[in-house]
Amino acid sequence: MSGGDGRPFGAPLKRKEDPRLLRGRGKYISDIKLHGMLHATVVRSPHPHAEIRGIDTAALLADPRCMAVLTAADFEDMPELVCIDAEETTLPFLQPALARDKVRYVGEPVAVIVAEDRYDAEDLMTLLEVDYAPLPAVVDPERALEPDAPILHFQSNLTDTLHYSDGDAAGALASAPHVLRERFATQRYAGMPMETRGVIASYEERSGFTLYSSTQVPNGVKTNLQTALGLPENGIRVIAPDLGGGFGVKLQIYPEEILLCRIAQRVKRPVKWIEDRWEHFVSTTHGREQFHDVEVGYDDEGRILAIRDDCVTNTGAYLQSLTMVEPFIGVCMLTGPYHLENFEATAKVVMTNKTPMNPFRGVGHVQAAFTMERIIDSVAADLGLDPVQVRLRNMIQPEQLPLNRKFGNVLAGTIVYDSGDYPTCLKKAAALAGHADFADEQEQARAEGRYIGMGIGCFVEETGLGPYESGTVRVEPSGKITVLTGACSSGQGHATTLAQIAADELSVDMDDIQVLHGDTDLVRFGVGTYASRTAAVGGTAVRQAAGKAKDRAAFIAGQLLEVDPVDLELRDGAFTVAGSPGASVSLADVATAVAPGSPLPEGVADYGLEATDVFHPKTNTFAYGVHVATVEVDIETGVVKHLRHVVVNDSGRVINPLILEGQVQGGVALGVGGALLEEILYDDDGQPRNPNFMDYLVPGVQNVSPEIVVEHMEIPTPLNPDGIKGGGEGGAVGAPAAIANAVANAIRPARIAATPLFPARVHEAIVAAGLGATVEGTKS
Amino acid sequence: MSTHTIRVTVNGTEHEAEVPARLTLADFLRERLDLTATHLGCEHGVCGACTILLDGETARSCIMLAAQADGSEITTLEGVVAEDEDLHPVQQAFWDRHGLQCGFCTPGIIMSTLELLREHPQPTREQIDDALGGHLCRCTGYVKIVEAVEQAAGVLSGSRA
Repeated sequence: MSGGDGRPFGAPLKRKEDPRLLRGRGKYISDIKLHGMLHATVVRSPHPHAEIRGIDTAALLADPRCMAVLTAADFEDMPELVCIDAEETTLPFLQPALARDKVRYVGEPVAVIVAEDRYDAEDLMTLLEVDYAPLPAVVDPERALEPDAPILHFQSNLTDTLHYSDGDAAGALASAPHVLRERFATQRYAGMPMETRGVIASYEERSGFTLYSSTQVPNGVKTNLQTALGLPENGIRVIAPDLGGGFGVKLQIYPEEILLCRIAQRVKRPVKWIEDRWEHFVSTTHGREQFHDVEVGYDDEGRILAIRDDCVTNTGAYLQSLTMVEPFIGVCMLTGPYHLENFEATAKVVMTNKTPMNPFRGVGHVQAAFTMERIIDSVAADLGLDPVQVRLRNMIQPEQLPLNRKFGNVLAGTIVYDSGDYPTCLKKAAALAGHADFADEQEQARAEGRYIGMGIGCFVEETGLGPYESGTVRVEPSGKITVLTGACSSGQGHATTLAQIAADELSVDMDDIQVLHGDTDLVRFGVGTYASRTAAVGGTAVRQAAGKAKDRAAFIAGQLLEVDPVDLELRDGAFTVAGSPGASVSLADVATAVAPGSPLPEGVADYGLEATDVFHPKTNTFAYGVHVATVEVDIETGVVKHLRHVVVNDSGRVINPLILEGQVQGGVALGVGGALLEEILYDDDGQPRNPNFMDYLVPGVQNVSPEIVVEHMEIPTPLNPDGIKGGGEGGAVGAPAAIANAVANAIRPARIAATPLFPARVHEAIVAAGLGATVEGTKS
Repeated sequence: MSTHTIRVTVNGTEHEAEVPARLTLADFLRERLDLTATHLGCEHGVCGACTILLDGETARSCIMLAAQADGSEITTLEGVVAEDEDLHPVQQAFWDRHGLQCGFCTPGIIMSTLELLREHPQPTREQIDDALGGHLCRCTGYVKIVEAVEQAAGVLSGSRA
């Protein structure tokens, strides 16, 4: 265990960033005001699919409140958003910054209007006349593949089909004693941070563009903007202020970042745009919508012999930066912690007239875990076996790790599970949840007319994604330490956890460390925060940079004390000489000795005490965990109550258990939303049906169990020096699977094959199973 | 559009202002007075991030007009303690219990907690759920928020006793 002996690494320290936020001194994008700033609104398509025959700006420009308008006509070459998986096939499906001839989803940007005041800018939107010729729309991905379906782009709505195969699935299915055929569906929902997106752009001839954006990836936005606007590296600076949550939906470039730069340059004043919640629902990326048609062969003991998976992902109207991750992970991580000889999958990637999809918290893994864990429970139920035993029979054993899973993609490389002990994790979680005794409890509850259920959700998750992260550690002449990271925070607490790593390496007080991020002029190279990567990759970069700074400090201290650096010990911010307690120099003394303004110490060649390092992980880490959910289902209404939730997680070594527990609990709540409450709904014509918080239910305090118990196994990964795997997403990955299994367990033998488990859907399953039919007043 | 002269006391300071009829109270606080702790998460009265105390009662400043606040006394998060004072026990409890992550919903939740603990110094779990039920937090899963409210209740009722 870590956290002993007073070391900051591993200690449940309170967060350094909190006093500022608790006093109301956070600085989020909407709090920033620049001198002379104007306000923009984005005119968006009200149609899911339409030709644009013309845009008439005359009435708009005649209004004195209109400072500027931007339409596709203002661009010679329309910049497009990037897609990382830029193979030939994906290129025609990229989103233009502004729609030119055609719109393909409700919410697609068509024009930008600028006024002195946001209220006025919103008034002006009604004066822009866009001549739309509506086209038939398609929202169902299977309908989109039919020969007579409306085509979004050209030729076909099928953008790509991924194929993965290992062993002989067809042969094993043909000879399997039992075969399960089922369609498992995960709905479209979204990260839904409490802060919407926002952008402020300004342009000055002296320094070029400065863009404030509520982004998880300032350096990525900078690079993409260079491409979109044709700028050199020093032509643009991107600043990410405090973020009010991200959850993945702020990890790519968006049209507004390009458009506001253009319009700010034109009006020669800073321009601000803050997304409203309706816009957020239609213009910020969605995720998840994925269907798995599986055939599963298994034997009498519940051993899975083969799986064939036909997967369809509804990506919406355009491919975004990382859209292809959703189908890739959805099938390649399907089998999670289980051993499987025979596997065959195809993943179709289909365009429809919905808002584009891109990863958010738990991308692909959520659908994979839901599908696989429902498979396991279905097999156990069919054979009358204990679901824990069936899992144990199929699990990869610790001695099989590292294990090459053979599949991979451009971004992730080949999947190699690095380290861990999946069976022990399951046993611990089952014990903590009281799984062995639950059947009795359940029987007693049933006798009282209460339908309670317990369900398990195991997962393995790709974490600590590359390609790299940067870290800089500077010792100031005052002895204060400045840490710079490319991994900017969207609420995870990097100002604390990265300081814990630097404090650990430099043996200094946490109060002396300040972590800065979110400014591309401050951090020249960086990647950002997503894919549970900052602790593992960003933390390692900080550890290495601090190590280099320490080595340099030791060398300088050796020169000052006239001793060999190997005889020096760094403790409490000072070097002492082993065996001579009187001889000592502090880090402040060392930094002062190499500060410009006076001659350098003998033998020291350069001024300054600072080091930068970049960590490129060889490959990803793989965190894993087991969730056990307990629920109660109201048999008359289908309402599910989330009673208790246990998580045993292996995120590798833990920097700060308080923060990690918060990450897991928050992830579980997001999973409760995905399991029970949240779905972005469209009607058949492509109109969003619930783009507001009255009709789209984000879990509130009453929806989430008051008891979310989190325990950690800390099996270090060999892939980075601190053995960190990452823990930002696992809560969201395991929860929907566990909750769905718990509901299925509560109302067995009812069929549960899709989320969200809205009361109506659960009730339908209850009625179909003939449960509760005797209750007076229950209708089908 | 009509304009109205309003007089309000915000965090102990009196203000007189000329406001358009349609200016929301939240925008008045944020844009005119630069009190940006009051956050806007949905602008349709659901998420609770914009919650303030209006004459001591919680109110959603995103669905109220500034003109409606004429004559009232308003407290925002900035007014809970002075800049040079220690954190209020409610703020301290949120810090101690890791009751916030991104911090965006936190201002509204603190204002509702202050009202809850004034009305129910030792609240039951149901009373806490009722008070927090009008707030959405996407980061924490609420467990640590509830722990923070319970800690603050303990500290405040202890100090009153």
